[in-house]
Amino acid sequence: MSKFLKALCLGTALAALPGLAIAGDAAKGEKVFKKCAACHAVGDGARNKVGPQLNEVFGRTAGTAEDYKYSKAMIQAGADGLVWNESTIAAYLAKPKDMIKGTKMAFAGLKKQEDLDNVIAYLASFSSASPAAQDQSSAEPAAAEQTQTADASAAAAPVSATRDGGVFGLGREATEDEIAAWDIDIRPDGTGLPVGSGTVADGEPIYSENCAVCHGDFGEGVGRWPVLAGGHDTLREDRPEKTIGSYWPYLSTVYDYVRRAMPYGNARSLSDDDVYALTAYLLYLNDVVTDEDFELSNENFTDIHLPNEENFIADNRADEEHYAQKGEPCMSDCKPNAVEITMRARILDVTPGSVDDDEAAGVGGVD
Amino acid sequence: MSDTKGSPPQNLSRRSLLKAGLAAGAVAGSAGAAKAAGDPLITEVQDWNRYLGDGVQARPYGTPSEFESHVVRRDVEWLTASTESSVNFTPLHELDGIITPNGLCFERHHGGISEINPADHRLMINGLVDTPLVFTMEDLKRFPRENRVYFLECAANSGMEWRGSQLNGCQYTHGMVHCVMYTGVPLKLILEEAGIKTNAKWVMPEGADASAMTRSIPMEKALDDCLIAFKMNGEALRPEQGYPLRLVVPGWEGNMWVKWLRRIEVGDEPWHQREETSKYTDLLASGKARRFTWVMDAKSVITSPSPQAPVTHGKGPMVISGVAWSGNGRITRVDVSIDGGRNWKTARIDGPSLPKALHRFYLDIDWDGSDLLIQSRAMDENGYFQPTKNELRAARGENSIYHNNGIQTWYVKADGTVENVEVS
Repeated sequence: MSKFLKALCLGTALAALPGLAIAGDAAKGEKVFKKCAACHAVGDGARNKVGPQLNEVFGRTAGTAEDYKYSKAMIQAGADGLVWNESTIAAYLAKPKDMIKGTKMAFAGLKKQEDLDNVIAYLASFSSASPAAQDQSSAEPAAAEQTQTADASAAAAPVSATRDGGVFGLGREATEDEIAAWDIDIRPDGTGLPVGSGTVADGEPIYSENCAVCHGDFGEGVGRWPVLAGGHDTLREDRPEKTIGSYWPYLSTVYDYVRRAMPYGNARSLSDDDVYALTAYLLYLNDVVTDEDFELSNENFTDIHLPNEENFIADNRADEEHYAQKGEPCMSDCKPNAVEITMRARILDVTPGSVDDDEAAGVGGVD
Repeated sequence: MSDTKGSPPQNLSRRSLLKAGLAAGAVAGSAGAAKAAGDPLITEVQDWNRYLGDGVQARPYGTPSEFESHVVRRDVEWLTASTESSVNFTPLHELDGIITPNGLCFERHHGGISEINPADHRLMINGLVDTPLVFTMEDLKRFPRENRVYFLECAANSGMEWRGSQLNGCQYTHGMVHCVMYTGVPLKLILEEAGIKTNAKWVMPEGADASAMTRSIPMEKALDDCLIAFKMNGEALRPEQGYPLRLVVPGWEGNMWVKWLRRIEVGDEPWHQREETSKYTDLLASGKARRFTWVMDAKSVITSPSPQAPVTHGKGPMVISGVAWSGNGRITRVDVSIDGGRNWKTARIDGPSLPKALHRFYLDIDWDGSDLLIQSRAMDENGYFQPTKNELRAARGENSIYHNNGIQTWYVKADGTVENVEVS
């Protein structure tokens, strides 16, 4: 708690300075905010998501956004007098867990001062309690335009030229670096695996920091976020649990997907070794490996097989009975008796906002 | 009726809308007794008939009338954990013809809508090609292009209905489909430009979005009818549909139509990406799962009457209308039943009949005002006709989710309201 108190005192002192201007650029901050948008909403109609909505966050006492379930630590911080302003938000966003030990926010922190300034300016534009920010916003468009013009003149305008070869001679040859930057896919045979390694033990803190907020501490899934572990022998049951261990055929898909798309809202931010460690940890959560010292690498990757690999088959829909019923379908007296209603819509009104979540729980999702 | 301004109906519930409709009918019915007075909408000069309206350029990009503001895509909030990886639904019950307006095409994103300046967009072709290439949007617009009308249906369309009736409205039960005219370059031309190696058997499109969406597609399909599209219904793709560039994979499940298309890799084996292993595979009762179930089989649904489009008139002439489509070609016939599938009548298909596109059908009936159980059954040019939901469940079990093309039943009650049901 001592670090937090220090930050709090500092924050209070800074906030007391009259006319403090926000240094950031709200337009640029909007881009930085994309890192936050997976969990936080701001602007018209913003609602609580994984994290609380951030309208009017400036001047808000910590842990008091309506209807949001905070960590105990955050509620305590609010009770201790923490109020969000430029400096307290800056301190928090730089190293959230240092400032509020026990915060639910999994985000590791913004490393660049510039990003911090910009995202704060962006957030300030949704708070009436920060006149300094609003003054700033009127000056922003001109500045943003200037930067854009400069960028445009610095980079060569994209032109479409012809080349030798090909049918139309269009496009240009891709460079090796360009291909390496985008071609990161992995196949089950190991094609595409980068050189690297990571252990189960290495993976655990990476998972806790980046993944647990949605997927749960043990891969059990929070709310409707995907369940990653468990579900063994449930595929023939009434409510199958399709996890990496119970359903996914190939480990390569785990590595590939985590590397290209996770953490949600901050893709491509993990190192190749981090992804090996996370993949090893996910194997551990699924009991495919049991040793915390197990190290997964490009060398032993294809030795690992997931339990359900053999249970995938080709599309054989055409063998189903009803596919054979070609020709003239029945047109009259097709059913012997008067038709009875056997099932009625469970949810009679799906107008957004009218459905009770509990009532709807258990209804199959889209994916 | 004296409120000549009228009011947009979005504030009315379905039920009150229905009442309003019935009330209006009653007024019209008694009008004969007051011939001298007449309908004030006719006998009195209306504002719009007297005063000037907006001039040109008041609406530089035109949008629908304020009285149509209820015609929007809608989502089902509890379906997914976040709106950035979620889906909303086309309001099929409000549409007619076969073309979906661009702003009403359902959305399915896995990492939110990428906002990409076309000047910053690149398409790379790499892998088993003679020359890996990079194209700008300008480059792509120098290839010969085609215009094609295709439906796009999510494999999970009607997935929530697999176990039984769930959602009351064809927007929700069938609204993960849309149909537009694409303008684009045949994928074949792009692949030939790079030169495909002889051992190339698969391609993998990849999106530039935050999910970097990927799917494996067999080379045969890639060279057949896939397009790299930059326009829909004549204008640029909408951001939520992959602006500035998307893949078009006619007749195959929507997830493969990669949006914000930035790369196509050519290979000799499939990649087994997340969206073709953990998702979009069809779990059978045996515990086995089908993979690479690409084609969307023939399907149809009655869009009106339907739960969100109740009957607001009394007995007499009634238009039953709906859409039908098949990933295997043209729809040749749609039959409609009003007694839950005991007896069928062949409906009238009106408008263009294009392969792998929506078809519009109508059955014009004389409603006797009694309860109806209405169904439609599509048949495609291969003689395949739509199965019942019971046939699908018997063949695949309760947990297949995807590729539910079973016959839909709507229960039209004497009071005009409509409910989603299943029947014996």
